[in-house]
Amino acid sequence: MQNKDRIKSAFESMMFIFGDPIDAKLAAGAVGVGRAEAIDCFRELVAEYEARKSGLRVRETDGRFGFVTYEENLDYIRAITTPVRERRLSQAALETLAIIAYKQPVTKSEIDSIRGIKSDRVIEGLVVKELVEDRGRSNAIGRPALYGTTAKFLEYFDLKDLGELPTLDDEELEDAIRSFGEPDEDSENTAALLAQTTLDI
Amino acid sequence: MAYKIRLNVFEGPFDLLVYLIERAEMNIYDIQISVITRQYLEYIRMMEESDVAASSEFMVLAATLIDIKARMLLPRIKEDGTETEDPRTDLTKRLVEYVRYKKAAAALENQREFARLKLQKPQEDLLQYTGEPDVYLRMEMDSFIHAFKNFIHRRAKGEELQRIRRGVERQRLSLEKKVSLIGKLLAGLRKAKQKLLKFSELLSGDGGRPDHVVTLIAVLDMASAGTLKARQETSFGEIEIFPADEPAEE
Repeated sequence: MQNKDRIKSAFESMMFIFGDPIDAKLAAGAVGVGRAEAIDCFRELVAEYEARKSGLRVRETDGRFGFVTYEENLDYIRAITTPVRERRLSQAALETLAIIAYKQPVTKSEIDSIRGIKSDRVIEGLVVKELVEDRGRSNAIGRPALYGTTAKFLEYFDLKDLGELPTLDDEELEDAIRSFGEPDEDSENTAALLAQTTLDI
Repeated sequence: MAYKIRLNVFEGPFDLLVYLIERAEMNIYDIQISVITRQYLEYIRMMEESDVAASSEFMVLAATLIDIKARMLLPRIKEDGTETEDPRTDLTKRLVEYVRYKKAAAALENQREFARLKLQKPQEDLLQYTGEPDVYLRMEMDSFIHAFKNFIHRRAKGEELQRIRRGVERQRLSLEKKVSLIGKLLAGLRKAKQKLLKFSELLSGDGGRPDHVVTLIAVLDMASAGTLKARQETSFGEIEIFPADEPAEE
């Protein structure tokens, strides 16, 4: 099957039946083309659905493609279903997930050290939610487990790949930290702080 | 008071420390260790007063702060005239690193707010499209008989469980009977000009251990309801039972 339109048509049917995002390699094998060509076709589908302003969109995550609903239709979907209140991730879970996402593969003790507190249970929870997974062992002493994010993590945050993670801009960070406060000359607080400083010395 | 509401919010010692630094509008690269240490310790004390056990990690950071505070008091000029490292450097590095991931966490949370608007189907059950939609039972006669026997056995067990359950209910009825029996015996005490009943007198001869248990529960029940008083001088000794209006002292 070499005709591009036929391939794309086949992919649409496959995505519809499969539900879960389908791996480009699996789809490529089914129609007898290479993976790169399959990805090409899938990406054309992504663009076409978007151009058509369809209520279905094709989403790419980690080399897998699947249908998702158009974000502005959520209210209508809710109207015909029983809305389930999403349990949001706790601050602890988000912190831990952020460390794993940006530093992966990373060991438990590295995570603990950054957070300043044991993270075992939080990590366990993230593993159960399938947002992070065991990625083998580090060569460090004790061969501790390494953690990384999953394909589901990318879907959960609507990211094509890890390159799409929000950037951790050092300058922005420095700005944020400085905005904690340069000593403000007028405030009483500062006066108290300065008094304290002299005691320090 | 704003403190107490935030007590459970801190995810760890760094979270608390960053909050205190931020609240004091302090520069993270120039932490006033003395001020922050005092506030930090105050906070931990408050946690303890509200019965929130501060985890050991909070204590470790407290010790670190005190250590830095002490070292800040020492002169930092070495003999050759160069300065030693600022005692705060290591802590500052770790705090900046922590703040970096706290920011990243906020960015992820924000990202999720958009992501949750798009819905995706869960993996479909593809069985109905595969070659063998029906699952045939391919079994030898022997294993079929074995499975059937197991089924009969499980059923019998289930019925036995049902019987035991009914048995438990029967015992519960006898607790009520026991209570009314003890009530009658207590009422009869006065006529017989006796002061007390002995626990052993309450037991029926053939009831066995269940009867002991039910009798004890009946006595405790009535004691807590105030219909009788009970006294036991020694462990495992005789329990003496009085009417509630009888002074227990002789």
